[in-house]
Amino acid sequence: MTDLIKLRGVQKYYGDYHALRDINLTIRAGEFFSLLGPSGCGKTTLLRVIAGFEGVSNGSVMISDKDMKDVPPNQRPTNMVFQSYAIFPHLTVAENVAFGLRKSKMSKAEKADAVAEALKMVGLDGYGKRAAHALSGGQRQRVALARALILKPKVLLLDEPLSALDKKMREHMQVELIRLQRAVGITFILVTHDQEEALVMSDRIAVMFAGEIGQMDDPETLYRRPKSRRVAEFIGKMNFLPATVTSVGESIGLDIAGFGQTDVPQDQAPEGAKPGEAAIGIRPETLAILFEGETASRHEAPATVDEVVYYGDMTYYDVRVKDVPEPLTIAMKNLIGRPVLEVGAQTRIAWDERAIVVF
Amino acid sequence: MIFVRKSLSIADMGKLSNLTGDQIRGIKLLGLPFTYALLLLALPLGAIVLFSFWTQDFMTVDTTFTTRNYQEIWNSPIYGLLLRRSLMVSGIVTLVTVLLAYPVAYFISFHVKPSKKSLWLFLITIPFWTSYLIRVFLWKVILGYNGVINSGLLELGVITEPLTFILYNVNAVIITLAHAFAPFAILPIFVVLEKIDRSLLEASQDLGESKFSTFLRVTLPLSMPGVVGAVLIVFIPTIGDYVTPELMGGAGGKLIANMIQTQFLQLNNAPLGAALAIVAMVCVTAISLFFVFLNRKYLASRS
Amino acid sequence: MKLRIYAIAYLIFLYAPIVLLPLFAFNDATIIAFPLTGFTTHWFTELTQNAALHAAVKNSLIIALCTAIFATILGLCAARAGAMSAFPGKKGIVGFVMLPLVLPEIIIAVSLLVILRQVLGLSLGNWTIILAHVLICTPFSIAILNGAFGALDPAMEEAALDLGETRWSAFRLVTLPLVMPGIISSMLIAFTISLDEFIIAFFLTGSNPTMPVYIWGLLRFPSSLPVIMALGTILVALSIVLLTIAEIFRRRGVRRSGGTDTGGFL
Repeated sequence: MTDLIKLRGVQKYYGDYHALRDINLTIRAGEFFSLLGPSGCGKTTLLRVIAGFEGVSNGSVMISDKDMKDVPPNQRPTNMVFQSYAIFPHLTVAENVAFGLRKSKMSKAEKADAVAEALKMVGLDGYGKRAAHALSGGQRQRVALARALILKPKVLLLDEPLSALDKKMREHMQVELIRLQRAVGITFILVTHDQEEALVMSDRIAVMFAGEIGQMDDPETLYRRPKSRRVAEFIGKMNFLPATVTSVGESIGLDIAGFGQTDVPQDQAPEGAKPGEAAIGIRPETLAILFEGETASRHEAPATVDEVVYYGDMTYYDVRVKDVPEPLTIAMKNLIGRPVLEVGAQTRIAWDERAIVVF
Repeated sequence: MIFVRKSLSIADMGKLSNLTGDQIRGIKLLGLPFTYALLLLALPLGAIVLFSFWTQDFMTVDTTFTTRNYQEIWNSPIYGLLLRRSLMVSGIVTLVTVLLAYPVAYFISFHVKPSKKSLWLFLITIPFWTSYLIRVFLWKVILGYNGVINSGLLELGVITEPLTFILYNVNAVIITLAHAFAPFAILPIFVVLEKIDRSLLEASQDLGESKFSTFLRVTLPLSMPGVVGAVLIVFIPTIGDYVTPELMGGAGGKLIANMIQTQFLQLNNAPLGAALAIVAMVCVTAISLFFVFLNRKYLASRS
Repeated sequence: MKLRIYAIAYLIFLYAPIVLLPLFAFNDATIIAFPLTGFTTHWFTELTQNAALHAAVKNSLIIALCTAIFATILGLCAARAGAMSAFPGKKGIVGFVMLPLVLPEIIIAVSLLVILRQVLGLSLGNWTIILAHVLICTPFSIAILNGAFGALDPAMEEAALDLGETRWSAFRLVTLPLVMPGIISSMLIAFTISLDEFIIAFFLTGSNPTMPVYIWGLLRFPSSLPVIMALGTILVALSIVLLTIAEIFRRRGVRRSGGTDTGGFL
């Protein structure tokens, strides 16, 4: 894959407010890329910088090796799906979709064909003559997609496109967007605050905090090997335990509060880790409650059930382990015949050093 | 009130380089109406301030700086009398208008169905947009010697002779002005009442207050900004009306605006007229600011 | 219930004088007093034959039309700027432009008279009244257009830019059609205010009076009062029609740009 968008040292100030601090990022052609972060982290600003709605205070934005410094949004090879969809209420669906073709040299018939094709692509076959203000939320989003994609941009920018939809519709559109992206082969850049959405849809994700990129990786690496506590906390749930790094070499020697001593491979710790105080993280689903007759394949520790939250398919336990300051959260599938423990029950938990991340 | 409230300070200018494109476009757009208001409002206002310190010398204006106009206003009793009467009329008109308007605004906001609110507001604003002169004149028809009220009352035998105290005096001026400014008082109060969170009223009743005490303890204090707005928007402009006192006031019902008009258009003494206009303006502004200040203190003392 | 009765009584109070207009306009007597004597359309016929009145009406129409156009242009600028991001001093500037709304009209009248006549030595005419009327109508235009722009999603124009339009063509193709009802409403309101305005016009009128100034002159002659009643009837009917159209457009504008109606012109 070739590099399509390159951001180098991008900074953005609003008065004294530092919205983007030194953003460096490369997005490849044909990639589904997500900007993920809490509200106010600068992800929408970054998207608008790429679209050309915001200038940069410092640094450069290159698209296809062309500096975008003096290129206004209407001349960039990018198109956007707005959070509110911004469907023009005074036009019909077809007029909305054809909006960007006004200056193209296509004949009327060619334009009509292009509109029909775009509508078909987003599943709105035959909706062309409808008034735009009479559409449902999901339909508006499809119109917005068709309107942007008809121009065959190199990059499609999506600003929280699913946040206005209800849960069912959102999940449905996630799948549709992936399908659409594969079909058209255009680079998609998605802004979202929903970590699950980013994990489901993206080839790569940049997690942003306070105007900076905290980590940029594919979803699995991001989830399994978060590089900082901030990223680990933002994506999914993670238990943190105090630990001491005892040795550094081929593998990292650890002494974990309540769990005892173990070794983990180098790639589960930050580069250049030194002996001394540290913390480890472990995800709830990589821990397990050991029921009657079960034994741990690796390690186990005695525990007391502190809290039980029943979710139907899953049960989340908070358990106390001796010498661990905070209760540990454990996610258990409710398999056939497996009981739900009560608060106060004495049990054992299993843990596996392969699931540990050292911070 | 009459001066530019806030212009760009030096410190603000320093930040101009940091403005976004959107802000710069906003400044450019606002520049046109701002320049217009500067040239046709601020500049003329400055001119009458200047003029008030000059004097009329038969056909020409003597441009030596003097406070003679202000001394004359201070020394001759007629100006003081007219000014006091004007302020009193404006005050009474404001009081009557706002007191009468509040229940109507309350009714529309709390008792009218949301779909009907626009219609009510529309009905209330319509008379306000119809020919002002003719509307004032019609009050003459209603209150006059052979007017609707007198002929009606005579017909009914309530009175044997037409009432004369209802036309060509201050009462007539007050009634007419109160009618003319009614929608001005309703709208600001309505807007504020609309913004009151209805759950606050339920909370108050849930906490044991009656409907009436809820009104006194919750609704009324929360609607005070609207009342203040209504008071200002009635009080300030009424001081500048010369049509109503001219038509309705008779000899004893003339107000300061009539005097200003006379100085400018009949006596050709623009400097004295300018000084009168400024004195009237300053009085109105001072009273308005004092009222706003009192209201702030009242609201602050409650919380 | 008591409140409703009060509110209806209040409405009757508001409309009482206006209801009298048609009564006397069609009454067959030169004196404006009860009881009514008979039906006539004579006063309306007389209206059609009064050349001086026709000239005054024509003047007023020209002034009102110019005022409506210029005030709406200024209002458009201010309302569009109002919908954009804030900058230092913006609130103060908008407040200053809105100031004529609360300023006594006589102050505006005398200050303009002084600067135009005494300082600049210009002669008065229709254009001086237009200048003043634009000043007092602009705040109303801004208030109406603020409603239209406020309900507009800022992403609309950005979407047009994103789809290849320039700033100007984005405004023309998207924003303008969406705020058009507000523009029409603003023009109608400014037109109505200007047509009816007397206090300022009386100071700034040149040798050709406007309609209200002409009416003011007639009010001194009892014999011309029935004609004024007839004229008033027409004006009231006209105002109601214009305002109803303005209100319909204002509501349509709010609806079209996707907002909910909060009612009222102000």
